[in-house]
Amino acid sequence: MSLKNYILTRIFLAIPMIIILLAFIFLILRIIPGDPVLAMLGGKAPKEVIEQKRHELGLDKPLVVQFLNYFFGLFKGDFGKSTLTGRPVLDELKERFPATVELTLFAFIIAILIGIFGGTEAAKQKDKAPDVLARFFAIFMYAIPIFWLGLMFQLLFGVTLRWLPVAGRLSPAIQFKPITGLYIIDSLITGNWKAFVDVIKHLLMPGTALGLVISSIFLRMVRNNMVLVLSKDFIKAAIARGIENKNVLYKHALKNALVPIMTVMGLQLALLLAGAVLTETTFSWPGLGSYLVLKIRYRDFPAIQGAVVFFAIIVVIISIFVDIINAIVDPRVRY
Amino acid sequence: MRNRFILLFIAMLVLVTSLMYATRDYIIIGTTDKIRSLDPARCYDYFSSNILQNVLSGFVDYEIGTTNLKPWLAEKWEISNDGKVYTFYLRKDATFEDGTPITAQVMKYSFDRVIKLNGDPAFLLSDIVDKTEVIDKYIFRVHLKYPFSAFLSVLGYTVAYPVNPKVYPEDSFYELAPSASGPYRIKEWIRDVRIVLEANPKYFGEKPKTKTIIINFYENASTLRLALETGEIDVAYRDLDPRDILEIEKDPRFVVYKGESPQIRYIVFNVKQKPFDDPNVRTGLAYAVDRNMIANEVFVGLVKPLYSMVPMGMWSHEDVFPKRDLEKAKEYLSQAGYDENNPLKIDFWYTPTHYGSTEADVAQIIKESLEETGVIKVTIKYAEWATYVDYFLNGTMGMFLLGWYPDYLDPDDYVWPFLSISGAKSLGSFYENQEVENLMVEARKSSDVEERTKIYKKVQEILVKDKPYVPLWQGVAICIAKPEIKGIVLEPTQIFRYYTLYSK
Repeated sequence: MSLKNYILTRIFLAIPMIIILLAFIFLILRIIPGDPVLAMLGGKAPKEVIEQKRHELGLDKPLVVQFLNYFFGLFKGDFGKSTLTGRPVLDELKERFPATVELTLFAFIIAILIGIFGGTEAAKQKDKAPDVLARFFAIFMYAIPIFWLGLMFQLLFGVTLRWLPVAGRLSPAIQFKPITGLYIIDSLITGNWKAFVDVIKHLLMPGTALGLVISSIFLRMVRNNMVLVLSKDFIKAAIARGIENKNVLYKHALKNALVPIMTVMGLQLALLLAGAVLTETTFSWPGLGSYLVLKIRYRDFPAIQGAVVFFAIIVVIISIFVDIINAIVDPRVRY
Repeated sequence: MRNRFILLFIAMLVLVTSLMYATRDYIIIGTTDKIRSLDPARCYDYFSSNILQNVLSGFVDYEIGTTNLKPWLAEKWEISNDGKVYTFYLRKDATFEDGTPITAQVMKYSFDRVIKLNGDPAFLLSDIVDKTEVIDKYIFRVHLKYPFSAFLSVLGYTVAYPVNPKVYPEDSFYELAPSASGPYRIKEWIRDVRIVLEANPKYFGEKPKTKTIIINFYENASTLRLALETGEIDVAYRDLDPRDILEIEKDPRFVVYKGESPQIRYIVFNVKQKPFDDPNVRTGLAYAVDRNMIANEVFVGLVKPLYSMVPMGMWSHEDVFPKRDLEKAKEYLSQAGYDENNPLKIDFWYTPTHYGSTEADVAQIIKESLEETGVIKVTIKYAEWATYVDYFLNGTMGMFLLGWYPDYLDPDDYVWPFLSISGAKSLGSFYENQEVENLMVEARKSSDVEERTKIYKKVQEILVKDKPYVPLWQGVAICIAKPEIKGIVLEPTQIFRYYTLYSK
């Protein structure tokens, strides 16, 4: 099968998966007690008003009818309107998504740097002090709850040292106009250096906290794969041929070790984009994770469904991307 | 050379920072609240209303620091003898920020729009208003379905604020920044990140003391506190953890303001569910509850125990509920057939996040105080808010914690929603008493405060006799600011006015 056909099949197969997922979330939301009208007006408005509002939102219709209405709306690109704010869900997602992308990419870069270099060095000095240290670090970071790490960062760098702002994406008094929603890019486009520095400062803490936590997964994977590759004959041959150590490590060994890791990294990125929920709530980061938490609290059905479908689409896109990259990096991969 | 460069840089930095502080014409407020909608026809949560109270104007306003109504857009008004027709004479110099004058036609447009769109707060008007009428360019008339003495107080709420017909569409909600008619206009609004208000040059009233107000949004109380500690914000308003407040009070870098809050908290009994259908059981439980313990332990003395559903500080309030008395509690419970050998076993419900993180502690203290009688066994149960509401509307829960935040400041809003048959149904107590219903209708017809006070006292006596609810405590409004920020008034109406703030 050619790569093109493979990708088409993947996309084709993703559609039923997303529909099943959607049906599932749709059903769960309606099975658990409580609905958006109750969450908003409960205990305040007379019962008749509540019934009427339910009727307006179509919540009194049979489940199948509700689902089909929503489903056909989706095909027209209509994600519905948030019951909490009354705004189109798609607009809200578009507003929140760049914040998550910015945070995630930043964290991801940190994680990859730590993972690749830490993992490679650890593998090189297997069972020596640096390796033990790296393994300890990986386990420690893996076990640490991100909100705790976040809080400690806030206390140390925010309150005690006062180097970095504790929350949000931007200082209140900075003049700034979002264009793309990716504040780093926006501040660069407009040449607003003050805002640029401020945005980076805000990104440092949550990005590093998140990056450290995921780096543990990468580090361990890179190390283990590298250990395996380094014991292979072609590496021994390379060393015997007198190729510089650094070149053997980073050019020959790492490239081979990276193939299985890429898949994991891709999926990890997708998961991260689907809302680094705890990081976002800890640092008041206005991304998709904190969006979802808020919306679940108020049973904002259209918003929750919209966000889930959105996530699913991202996961599909990224995993297809990873497959393509894999095919390019490793010529042996054929679909 | 390099050193000189660094020196120059430092000098510039000092200059810039000192300039920034010298010309400081902005104040930064931090909050954990959220803005849901800034359309008066849809807005029905505290913080959105509060923004509207600073950027729009209404018929009436409250005198600063009191609950007394005063003219705002309406210069004066007349009420017909039967209490059903209100005629308002509007001031002629009021406009929206684009220059559109605020006329009777605008008022009619806004009222009719609220009722037609039927948003969350619409019932406040649609329940009462029969029709609206333009008498003259600046004379507006409202016909009520029935006499309702608290109507003016309803007009004090944002649902009755006029909107700019050129901006707000007739048949759908408007979800962008409103066209201002109040002291401030919205300069910038990045949802859930920040909102920037600047003085509205077209406002007819007094100019704000600070030109720009920036409100920054935080996800939770701990980040809000950190932002305060690091000096990122000047004022923290809603909501910090009570224990944090106690610590901040000792910190000379901050001033803690405390104000009356009209929020009340109480226990609801489902009077149709066993064993709470027995008045002796309800009375026994009411005697056993330890309000002081809640106020002192959970809220570190910030809130005050409450002994009526009508809050303290509001006219007609009486401390009708009895103080704690374990002997009396046991006596009533034994009349209901419970003693040490046959203890009363009950489920007691709370909701963990809707009323803040303190709720679980409150539930625990109530459990302990009830069990102290030795004849009650309490099982604590909880459910998230949306589920909780479903449960109490269905009558699933027999005894549970709830809170009330008034829509208009009048004793009517503290008795009617609770004791009227329709109201009690929507609060899950299912209480029915025609006598009390008639009394409340009578009070709605009268505009004589003295006469109404008498009636509400009677209503409170019936409330304590039947005890479908047990009032627990009255909330407190807290605001924390840097000492140089002045002009903070925590109003009994809960309107937080940004235009009185200034930095010294």
